[in-house]
Order: sequence, then C-alpha cells, then structure tokens
Amino acid sequence: MALPLQAGLTPMEVAFLCEMEMVTVVPRQRLERLNLLSGPTPALRPPHRAPLPLWLALLLKRQRRANILPPPWLLPSSLERILKHETETSPLAFSPPPPHPHPITARISPTDHISPPFLPSSTAEAPPDYLPYHWLELGEILLEAASDDVPEPDRVRGLLRDLREVRMSKMRGSVKVLEGEGGGVSKMTGVGAMEVAEGRGFILGVLDGLRRLGSSREVARREREEEEGGGEGSEDEAMGFE
Amino acid sequence: MATTTQVRLRGRPAHTRGPTFLSYTPDGTKLITVGSNNTTRVYKTGFDGEPTNIDDCPEQNTGVASTDEFFIIGSEDGNVSKFSLDTMSYEKYLTRCSLPIRDVTLSSNGKWCAVASDELVVKIIRTNDTSAVMSLREQPKPVKHLSFDPSGKHIALSCTDGLVYVYSLINDEPELVRKIDGLIRTLETEDEISSKVVWHPDGRAFAAPTATRDIQVMSRGDWENQRTFTSGHDGDITALAWSPNGAMLASAAKDGKVLLWETKTQKMLATYDYADVMDIAWHPTNNLLSFTNTEGWVYIYNDFVPQEHSHLLKLPLQPAPFIHDPLSEISANARRPITNGLKDIPNHGARRGTPDSLDDILGSDILGDEDDFVVDDDGAGYALGLNGNGKRPNGVPDPYAGPLSKRRTQTWEPQIHDSFQPGSTPWRGNRKYLCLNLIGFVWTVDQDTHNTITVEFYDHEFHRDFHFTDTFLYDKACLNEHGTLFSCLTNGDTPATIFYRPHETWTARADWRTQLPKGEEVTAISLSDSFITVTTTANYVRVYTLFGIPYRVYRQKSSPTVTCASWRDYVLTLGNGPVGADGNTRLLYTIQNIKRDEICQSEDVVALPDGETIKSVFFSDNGDPCIYDSTGTLLTLLHWRTPSQATWVPLLDTKLLSRLASGRKTETYFPVAVADNKFHCIILKGGDQYPYFPRPLLSEFDFQIPLSSKPTPDGGDDEDAEAENEGDELNKLESEFVLKSVLAAQQQDLVDFTKSSHSQRTALARMEVEIDKTLLQMMAVECREGEDRGMRALEMVTLLRDRTGRMMEAAGKVAERYGRNVLGEKIREVGEMRLSAMEED
Repeated sequence: MALPLQAGLTPMEVAFLCEMEMVTVVPRQRLERLNLLSGPTPALRPPHRAPLPLWLALLLKRQRRANILPPPWLLPSSLERILKHETETSPLAFSPPPPHPHPITARISPTDHISPPFLPSSTAEAPPDYLPYHWLELGEILLEAASDDVPEPDRVRGLLRDLREVRMSKMRGSVKVLEGEGGGVSKMTGVGAMEVAEGRGFILGVLDGLRRLGSSREVARREREEEEGGGEGSEDEAMGFE
Repeated sequence: MATTTQVRLRGRPAHTRGPTFLSYTPDGTKLITVGSNNTTRVYKTGFDGEPTNIDDCPEQNTGVASTDEFFIIGSEDGNVSKFSLDTMSYEKYLTRCSLPIRDVTLSSNGKWCAVASDELVVKIIRTNDTSAVMSLREQPKPVKHLSFDPSGKHIALSCTDGLVYVYSLINDEPELVRKIDGLIRTLETEDEISSKVVWHPDGRAFAAPTATRDIQVMSRGDWENQRTFTSGHDGDITALAWSPNGAMLASAAKDGKVLLWETKTQKMLATYDYADVMDIAWHPTNNLLSFTNTEGWVYIYNDFVPQEHSHLLKLPLQPAPFIHDPLSEISANARRPITNGLKDIPNHGARRGTPDSLDDILGSDILGDEDDFVVDDDGAGYALGLNGNGKRPNGVPDPYAGPLSKRRTQTWEPQIHDSFQPGSTPWRGNRKYLCLNLIGFVWTVDQDTHNTITVEFYDHEFHRDFHFTDTFLYDKACLNEHGTLFSCLTNGDTPATIFYRPHETWTARADWRTQLPKGEEVTAISLSDSFITVTTTANYVRVYTLFGIPYRVYRQKSSPTVTCASWRDYVLTLGNGPVGADGNTRLLYTIQNIKRDEICQSEDVVALPDGETIKSVFFSDNGDPCIYDSTGTLLTLLHWRTPSQATWVPLLDTKLLSRLASGRKTETYFPVAVADNKFHCIILKGGDQYPYFPRPLLSEFDFQIPLSSKPTPDGGDDEDAEAENEGDELNKLESEFVLKSVLAAQQQDLVDFTKSSHSQRTALARMEVEIDKTLLQMMAVECREGEDRGMRALEMVTLLRDRTGRMMEAAGKVAERYGRNVLGEKIREVGEMRLSAMEED
C-alpha cells in the first residue's frame, strides 16, 4: 500500500526548505568561520553584519548570540505598497517577484539559471517592494522567532495575513480560468512556495473534479466520434487487413 | 523662600458667580474682564475708580483676548465677537459655532484669532478679514485650550483626549508637527481645571500642568521634557502664566493657593491664598498681576512680586529652564577669539540663517515690531521684510559692495570651526551619547546632582557592560578594546580631569585620574592602543601612556584647536589655521608618530568646500585617516606617511547613494566608523542631526567614489535598456577600478612604511591582481562593443600592473576571442616592449 502522503510538499517541508535562505544578522558575539557542507560561513565580529543561512541565524538568535535584520520587503511600508499593488494596481495578477540581480541579456551567462535560495532575496540588501519565493514562511518564521528585531511586528503580522488572503483568493479565482474550454493554465509568476503547497490540494481537487465531470462528456464525445468515424475506421481496418 | 503675605487684597466684584476671564492689552493700559453676566468691564491701569462697562455683549463668556485696539470675546452661545477699545462698543461677529466656544486667543501681532469650541475643528480667523479662515482638523475630540507661541508660527492645542497637538502655521496650510502624549491629562471642556499649554516668552519651550499637579516644561526643538516645577500645589492646577520676561511663573490651583516660581531655579518665591482662581494675567511691564475667580471677582494685585525679588522683573528676556540649554552649550564650547565686535553672537555664515540663532529666539518680533515702519510702496526693495529667521535677506544685488562686507566692516570676525568630540552628540533632554563606535557606545543621563554613565559593548562575550554613578560630570569619552577614557570640565574647585578605566586588569586597581592645570579645559580626547591624547583650550596637546605617564606635551601650531584622533602611535590633531578666501578659517591637520617622534604631515590643509565644515574625523581599521564633512562626503587621506604628499580622496558621497535616487527619502548619516572597506553610519530621518534613544541600528555602505550620477533606472524603452546595461556595466567596472587603485595605494603605503607582515604583502599582491582583472573585464566589454573602440581597449592594456606578462597574454586572448586581430597585434607589441624594458632594468 502506498504511503498516505499527498502529492507535493507539506507546509513543514516548505518551511524546512525556506531555512536555507540567506538572511543578514548582526552578531552579538564573535564566532570563527565554520566549515559547512554548503560552504564556509563568514567569521562573525560584532557589530559587522554578516549573511548566514536562516537555520543558523535562528539558532544564534535563540541563543541570544545574534540579531536578525529583517529584509527590506518585510518592513510595514514596503508590505503596504505591495498590498496596494495587489489590490489596486493589478487586482488580477500576483505582484511580481524580485528582479534577477544579474541582468539577463541575450547573451547566455552562467548566472541566468541561479534561483532562490542561491540568490540572496531576503538579506538586508534585497530590493524592497517585491515578495520573494519564500515570503510567507520566512515572514512567519521571523515573526515567531525574532519578533523583537522586526519593527512593528503586529502590523507586519496583520499585513502578511492581508497579503496571504488577497493572494489566496486570487489563486482560487484562477480556477475559473481552468474551468473554461480547453482548461487554460493561469499565470503563476510571483507565487510563493507556501502558496503553491497550500493551493495544490485545492487546485488538484478542482481539476480532478472537472475531469470527472468532463469525463462523461468525454466518453460521450469519444463514442460519438467512434460512431461517426467508427465505420470509416473499421473500414480502414478492414481494408488494412485485407 | 515661600512666604505668605499678611496684607489681604480685597477683590472687586466684577461679575456674577461663574467662570471669569481677563486679559491685559499689550500696552498695559487696560485690563478687560468677562464673566457669566452680560457686562464686560475694562479697568484702566493705575486708576482705582469704577471700570468702563460694555453692556451689549453675550452672557456666559468663556474667553477673552485683546490687542491695543480691540478685544475678542467667546461665549457659550457659540459667538465670537470683536469689540473696539476706542469706542468701547461692539464691532462685529468674527465667527459663529453651533456649539459653545471654549477658548479664544490672539496671535502676538493681533492678526489671527484662534477659536476652540465643542466642535472638533479649531478655526483660525484673520481679525480684519473674517473670510480668511484656517482649520485645524487632526484632533479627534474637542479642544479645551489654545495658545500661540510668541512668534505666531506655532499653535498648541490642549485637546480633551489628553494629548497636545502642535501645528505649524508657517505655510498657508496648517501642518500638524507633533502630537504630545503624556504631558497633560484628560479633561472635559467645562472643567475648571486647566490643561493649558503656556509658551515661555523666548519661544523655545512651553509649560503645561500635568496630572501629578506639577508644571512640566517641554522644549519645542526636540520635544523633550525639560525642568519641572514640582511639589507646589496640593490641588489641580487651574491657571498658569509666565512673567513677561520669562523670569517667573505664576500658577493657581484648586488648593486655594497662588504660587510665584522662579524660572531659573524652579523654586517657590511666594505663596498667596486665594481660592478658586480661574485666570491669571501679568501686566506687560509693571509689578502687577491680576487674576479672577469663579465667584466673578477680579483681583488687581499691585507689587505682587515681593520686594526682595522684584529685580527679577527688570531683567531682560530670560531663557526657558532647559536641563541642558543648547544655546549655553554652544557658548560654553565656543571660544570668543576677538572681542572687538559689537555683537557677542557668533555670526555663523552670513549667507544663510542659522537654524536656531539667538536672533531668532530672542527675535524682535516678540516685542511686536515685526511691521517695518518703512513701507516699500514702490517695490525698490529697500524695505525688504524680515525673512523666516527674523533677518533681512541679504541676497540684494549691490553693485558697489556686497551686503556682507558693507555691514561687516566694523564687526567682522573670522568664522572658526568649533571644537567637537568625534562620535559624540549634544545633550538632548537629559541624555547624550559620549561616544559611539564599532566597539560599543557610552551614554550619560543627567540626574541633576550627578550623572549616570553606561558603557555598552556590541560584543557581549568579550566585555561586560558596565554602569556607574558619575559625580565629576564627564562630558567626553572614548572607547576601544582596552579601556574607556573620560574627561570633564572644570567644576568648582576641581580642575578639568581625565579618567582612564581599562576593561581588563590583573592588579587591584588600574584606573587612574589626572588633573590638568587650573583654567585649562579639555577640547577633545582620543584613545589609541598605546596612547591617550588630550587637546586643551591652552592649545596644548598632551599625550599620556595608557597608565597615565605624561609622555609628551607640545603646543599645537594651529589654534583654536578643533579635535584630535589617534591610531596606535599616530596622532592626528585638527586646528583652525589662517582665514581662507571664503571667510572661514582653514582647517589644518597634523599627523605625528608619537613613539618615533616623527611628523608625517605638518599643518596641511583639510580640503573642504566653501563654507563647509567637518563632522567627524577618525582612523579606519587599517589606520588611514578619514573625515566626514557637512556635505555628506567621506574622504580618506592617501600617501599621508610621506610629508607633503598627502591627498584627500573621496570614498563615498552619501548624496549620490542609490537609496536616495528615488527622491522620496530625505535622510542624513551620522558617521561612526570605516572598517572592512565599508562606511558604518547611523541613518537619521526626519531632519534629525544626531542619533537619540533608543539606539538606532548601524548601517553600512560600500564605498563608491563619486564619478558620475547614476542614470535613472526606469528611463528609455527596452531597446535602449540593452545599451544602458552595457554602459552600466562599464561604469561599474570603471568605478571599481578607481576604488581598487585607491585601496591598493593605501595598502602599498602600509607595506612600505611599516614592518609589514606576510599577510599584508600577499593582500597587496592580491589587490593588484584584482585591479588587473577589472581592467581585463573592462577590455572585454570594449572588445565586444566593436572594432572602433580598440584604442580605448589598448589603453587599458597599458594600465595593467602585472610584470610577469601573464596578464598581457590574457589580454591578447580576450582580443582574439572577439576577433580583434589588429588589437591583438598591438597588445603583443606593448607586451614585448614592456618585457624588454624590464630586462634592461
């Protein structure tokens, strides 16, 4: 019997993957460079900022050895602008993801295929006003573990909730497009990892339902085709066999 | 000393029982009282007979304000009416509200009348044109009291929600500048208790009654609590008034007492027993105070200030009770170089008004002569009004003599650079940072009789934060990995003292204190790994070892001294030199190696633009001197170890930072340090000059030599974008090249002049390779661009530093790859010439 696991990633797994994102920390204690599988970490010397993977930053934060700098897009002013973009500027599409830091031109370069978490999208230098791939889980994690480092945490929490609801309703709304003839695929640029994981169940369910609803029609269509073209087909076959 | 007077003054029954209010005309000839009956009484000063009565006025009056010509009455029926003092009769309605009026007040020039009612909106009406109305709408509840500041540029609203709203009236549209929480208490509009904000006559501060029955003074500049008039009243305060020169404060409360306070000491001078006082008014010049009570009685109290204190009334305008008056702070620090000028006010920069000059604060407009008597009716410009700073604009073109030289012939004095302690901030409220750097920060809190000093570190593992009570009132500090250095000014009999406290010690007591000769004050201190440097007002530079052994004393060549900085054995001192062409003194620096007793740079000029000054000076972590000037530029000194070879090189212009490119932000930066080839600073928003509490986070910026202003990111269509990208890439590489060259030059100096370690030498070699790599990248871009850019590419090849010829080969390969054969040929020629030249050597 198959494992009772759904397709795709569970929220836990998405949050786990998110911990590979780089964040900027302000250390409160010295720490020599550590040789990790993902490469050496920078030596920490307070108060010099240093980029660290989120899991290590959380570990240090929990031991009160570092403060995490919230990425610029997590500031209330930036979230407000994104929310405005989502609700007023383009009420149908998702707000765009952060621009690629290495300019993508006609010439092919090795940097073209780098994507998060290997692109620092949540460090202190990240561009404001764009939600990165792991925005929801990163925001939640930072609010839970380092709420004293985030300015106006309650407002940020509220804005994140607003954004999540706006975008989830867009995601559900996109199902209407699926329903149409041909079952088109809606544009998913800018959707975050957690949203994909959350939406997967619903959208797969809808698609499955649609398929089932459509199946009787499909069967009827196929039968009709067979009846109409069946004679020819059988003739062909007959001819072929002849 | 508190005294209760024996003479009991008889009140005059002016009105029927109920709230009664009064106002003196600014010339002091008349006192106007209104009350709950429909009669207004006008008493003549110095005349004891019956007052003039004006009968045709409304009942239940709630406020009165007057000028020399007219007065305004607000009443509970919602009318604000204007009465003439010439004819002693009703003139017109200024405005009408649907709900009762609660307060009326006039600006000091009598042009504007502010009206508070039970409606939410406060109206400000022009007294001679009732159609000109400004509305203040930000407050969510009705306003109980109003008060204009003495200049009429701000108005404070005491709202019934317990907040004070301060609006700026400088522009046509009133603008809320501050909501002050926690100053006054929540009251109803009908309450007899007052929450009125009363501006001190110097306009820099205001007082307000608090819920604890004290009177709190708050400064307008930084909205910090200043001195408090405490423990005087046992009941809620009902009325407050500053004496006309601000030297005293009168207050009345529900406990049936009227108190007279001295501003300077916040002590009670006298106590009087009068119950239910509602409103107090000082006579503008005489020793005369009048007040009214809820019984409708008016008291006109001659010689209110007791004889022994009456000299206080004769004083000129007195400053508001600040904990650390910014004005006196400046004058304590600044040196008066020459006293042949008529003014003892330093005229900082003739071309712009200082933001808080004494002229502004003690400006003439308080005394009411803002209206110039010369009327410029033909527009010839001879009667240009006062500008926003209360000064005449001097931008008038004058063919013969600039207005500057014309007016300064008698009182000209050089503009010197003031002394300062790098990394410190001035007092704000009762706190100040003594030192902010990358090790930690030192701050002090004024506790009236003593200070408390806290030293905090960024690295909590290496050092433990500490905190001590400071009876010496230290006002300067330096902090590094090994210890903390403090200094204080002369205090009574104790001469100026310096105090050093190492962080770690293996003996019982390692901290030491040393006193300077009497009369000598410390202007700046600095602490390095091996020496302590102190510059003093006597123009001495005193160098001590870390354990207090006086090592060297010498007189600084340029004076007055500005500041000093040190790193290991090097000491940099800054002083004012001769006057430059812009009227400011030239800032001169000297760098000396104390241990080797060598002068690296002697009295060289700090390159500053016209009229600008220096904000901070410090050594970077590599030991190169850096300055941050008032234009927001960070500069470093190149080749400073060779005498007269030093040049100032800009590393970063904060005005060109990309974060400011959108134009939406206005922010300034408080320099902290240069380390790791980054500029560490504190971002200051909202017009702040200095960081305050809570301590803001440090920010860091990469160096960026100002070469060109960045093109706007969202300009042009997609076709241009491609070309722009190329330009961008080239620009980026070019600035990288320049920056790396500067840093390599500094490293080269370090290697040449010190006993360099192996790692320093390899770092230098690596930097040179990096420069060559950047050049190759630039060359690659040029090659890609086309054949016609070949000469530029060849020039880049000649700039290569590499001596082994490998970089030349690489350059040839790059040219080959892009098929630039002619270029490749030329590169080979250059390479061969260079190699042969080296062989000849």
